[in-house]
Amino acid sequence: MNDDVLLSVQHLSMYFGKGPYAKKAVDDVSFDIHKGEVFGLVGESGCGKTTTGRTIIRLYNATGGNVYFKGQRIVAGDLEYRKEIKDLQEKLKGASAEEAEKYKSRIAELRTEIKKARHDQKHADKKLVTKIQMIYQDPVASLDPRMTVREIIAEGLKIQGIKDKAYIDEQVYKMLDTVGLVREHAQRYPHEFSGGQRQRIGVARSVIMNPEVIIADEPISALDVSIRAQVINLLNDLRNSMGLTILFIAHDLSVVKYFSDRIGVMYFGKMVEMASSDELFLNPLHPYTRSLLSAIPQPDPEYEKGRTRISYNPLVDHDYSTDKPSFREIKKGHFVHCNQAEFDRYLKILK
Amino acid sequence: MEKKLEVKDLRISFKTSNGKVQAVRGIDFDLYKGETLAIVGESGSGKSVTSRAIMGILAGNAIVESGKILYGDKDLLKISEEDFHHLRGDKIAMVFQDPLSSLNPIMRVGAQLIEAMLLKNKAARKESARNMKRMFESLETLMDKAGCEGSKADLEKFKHFELKHCELHSQYTNAYASAQEAAALSAHLALAVSKNAVKNLSQDIAQLIRACKESVSHFVVRDKSEKLNNLIEVLKTNTGAYQKKDQQGIDSLVKALKDIAAIENEALGFTAPNNFTLGYYLSYVKDEIPNLPVKELNELTHRTVETDFMNAFMAKLQKAVDYSCRQTNEARTRTSALLKEKAKSLTRDMDEKIVRAMFKDLKEQVLTCLDPLEVDKDSLTHTFGSSVDYALDLYYNGEKRNRAEQRRFAREDAKHSRIIARGKVPEWEVIPASYIDLDLAFGEITGTMTEMAAHFDAQVGGNRNANFAARTERIVDYLKDSAQQSVFKLSKGSAREKAIKLMESVGIDEPRRRYRQYPFEFSGGMRQRIVIAIALTADPDVLICDEPTTALDVTIQAQILELINNLKKERNLSVIFITHDLGVVANMADRIAVMYAGKIVEYGTADEVFYSPAHPYTWALLSSVPDLDTKEKLESIPGTPPNMIYPPKGDAFAPRNKYALEIDFEEQPPMFKITDTHYAATWLLHPDAPKMEMPAVVTERINRMKQKGGAR
Repeated sequence: MNDDVLLSVQHLSMYFGKGPYAKKAVDDVSFDIHKGEVFGLVGESGCGKTTTGRTIIRLYNATGGNVYFKGQRIVAGDLEYRKEIKDLQEKLKGASAEEAEKYKSRIAELRTEIKKARHDQKHADKKLVTKIQMIYQDPVASLDPRMTVREIIAEGLKIQGIKDKAYIDEQVYKMLDTVGLVREHAQRYPHEFSGGQRQRIGVARSVIMNPEVIIADEPISALDVSIRAQVINLLNDLRNSMGLTILFIAHDLSVVKYFSDRIGVMYFGKMVEMASSDELFLNPLHPYTRSLLSAIPQPDPEYEKGRTRISYNPLVDHDYSTDKPSFREIKKGHFVHCNQAEFDRYLKILK
Repeated sequence: MEKKLEVKDLRISFKTSNGKVQAVRGIDFDLYKGETLAIVGESGSGKSVTSRAIMGILAGNAIVESGKILYGDKDLLKISEEDFHHLRGDKIAMVFQDPLSSLNPIMRVGAQLIEAMLLKNKAARKESARNMKRMFESLETLMDKAGCEGSKADLEKFKHFELKHCELHSQYTNAYASAQEAAALSAHLALAVSKNAVKNLSQDIAQLIRACKESVSHFVVRDKSEKLNNLIEVLKTNTGAYQKKDQQGIDSLVKALKDIAAIENEALGFTAPNNFTLGYYLSYVKDEIPNLPVKELNELTHRTVETDFMNAFMAKLQKAVDYSCRQTNEARTRTSALLKEKAKSLTRDMDEKIVRAMFKDLKEQVLTCLDPLEVDKDSLTHTFGSSVDYALDLYYNGEKRNRAEQRRFAREDAKHSRIIARGKVPEWEVIPASYIDLDLAFGEITGTMTEMAAHFDAQVGGNRNANFAARTERIVDYLKDSAQQSVFKLSKGSAREKAIKLMESVGIDEPRRRYRQYPFEFSGGMRQRIVIAIALTADPDVLICDEPTTALDVTIQAQILELINNLKKERNLSVIFITHDLGVVANMADRIAVMYAGKIVEYGTADEVFYSPAHPYTWALLSSVPDLDTKEKLESIPGTPPNMIYPPKGDAFAPRNKYALEIDFEEQPPMFKITDTHYAATWLLHPDAPKMEMPAVVTERINRMKQKGGAR
């Protein structure tokens, strides 16, 4: 399995602000995305799904953790190192000469690590990073109203330094064709398109860079019902024809279930459960996942009459006073954020 | 079941610089009491326009071309803005899509909750005073005309002790409300103080002391006022102990609070006095309350009023009622005949000036048919003038506008073809001429007249065997009510108590603390709850929810839906629920109307629409959303909704419909009846149509759902 890991997110943290008041938008999140799969990220609004996506694509400077893309580090934070240095400096104060020597050498080591991380964060391989592209939530806000569709789609290529106009045109037309628009549309401005067509432009803009990974940040939540199906089908076709790998961020669980191979559930910056999509919907273990699944309305009046919502209150549902929780694998490919007591209980449920 | 709201053949267009957008094109539906009607469709299908028309908040460029929205006997499209003030928010309330933009960011939530209550109260005061004055004046003249003696003196007497009644009543209700507040607050504080969970004790204690003092009155806290005063002293001396954590002081504080709660609760159980009869007694018999138990006192005062004054007064009133009824009946018969005659003689080519002059007389005639002693406003007669004016303006201005439009179109078209003739391709397109339908407008004029005549005939028929004694009693009740409303001043304190109760009922924890917060301190779901609470302040019977959960995520959406469902059950609300999420619809709706391009294309109960959908558009909607078991490719709806400036000739959905028949492009399908409650507008249901199967995705899903249902 390890060979085809395309994007590996390890202990990623993104804090806004400093010190004890920092807003921990993403806190120690780890997951791997394999080549050709769709990884769904769900959770309520404000749980850090979008921040995770944006940190991976280096729109933010990560606070801690690493992201490896094709084995190369493209995002690097220094939170762990800084924490360890702080601990060591505390220890130094009351340490004997021998120990102090050891600690000091370790601190020096860590300092070089931090330097390396900062270097990697700053000088990541630009060519490599362009292989990850993003589709944004709101097609109205993410397309420049003063640029024609041709300019919007070709902008990425121009930034890459391509000056051959004929080549750019050819590429743009090819992309328009791929996403189901026609050549004539290249002359027009975004406001002349309907919602679904606009989102297609957004897709074309990211696909023209020939990416391997697409981060789709709620690409359908701003769209109308009938258009959602168009965009999902388009992404599905692209995935099959171009072998795309997609990180799909959404809060509509029915769509995520339909579209994704594996799903990660986030709650307040933490990943609480991760499994293949069938497994997650069949055996939801974490109480938050259960509450989330019980809240999905279905287009079936009979089912709706019988549905009861499970509420989730972290203060009641968990007792983490003695044993701190961690992210554990409970079954092959099924991870849950829990402590030992809960782990045993979940194992029993699975059996 | 009782119909709450009826929408009949509603057509609404918007004037824009590109032409006339026909947003709603003839829809009919009913809303029954205590049910939820869901309106589903893509954006731009006219869902929100319909709901806004019901609320009377259409944008300024909207034209209501025809139709009726009946609420009770009132046509919401015709009544005046002033009359609408009594309905909007009071009877029909709305929850908007985005809670953040429908709350005022710089006002505390509590202030927003009580704002409407206080304003409504102020308006009601003014209006009742006006109504009472009008009623007294017409009563006086009518009683004189009917030949009663001493009517003026009697009315003066009635007015005088009625005011006394109001004074007594407001004293009593204020004291009672204060006792309620004091009881609730003292119980709450007793618990909070013993658990050490009060932030600002001195403020709360001050509020409690005020409420306690106000609750002391003859009929509420009577004998124990002495004891209450002592307890208040205990509170005052021991408030400081709470801060100092002096256990002894806290104990006595808690004990005093509990005692106060006991006293106030006991006071709340006392029998209420009959303030009306007592008012008479105090004004004309004795000027102090006799020392009797309340029950006996009520009987005594009641007897006195009946024998002394009321029986004779009622007889006189009845005479006046009888007289005025005869008078108006005559006028009504006369006007009805006149209306019918004029409606017949009216032709389309008559000169505008003559017609206008004729209607000016007619309007005056109609107004004489109003019974001066009416208690319920006869809105049809009142709005006759305005609806006739509206129809006349529409017709005559329409005529002029159509001519102008014709000229403009001819001019532009000629220019356009000139350019083409020169061999160039013009950069602009000719905006097609949009004509106002003059047949419809003229029909509106005659329709209003015949409707009015029929209404008068019915009234005359109804008056023949009317119960005049009951009518007289209603007038007295009306006078009492208006007198009370004209002096009833809702204090901020009691409005606050009411608001806090509402906040509790919509599921907000710690409403007392939350009351003083700003909207930004609330989460999305809590904010939407506040919006719902504001909509409920006036106790409406119809609640319109315009995509209330679209901006929220699943868990909060589920909470809000549960809340609306519970409230619906508790208050027997009728709900119009607008959404495009079919899952939500399945959860909420009793009946569903599917809208497309300004028309209702399918209409039925939730089970019928989900388990046996008939219209291709409903199929398309159902097959374009995945559910948790969907594996196959989704069937998206190709294309976009039609441009409503040029509505298509046939079925509007035909160009996007793979099941479209040839006739779909030529003629609009009528509503075909499938069952008594299930209708759909598609030619596929015509007996001659070829048999079409619905898409495999939908059939499979329905089978799956049926299996699941069977298993349960």
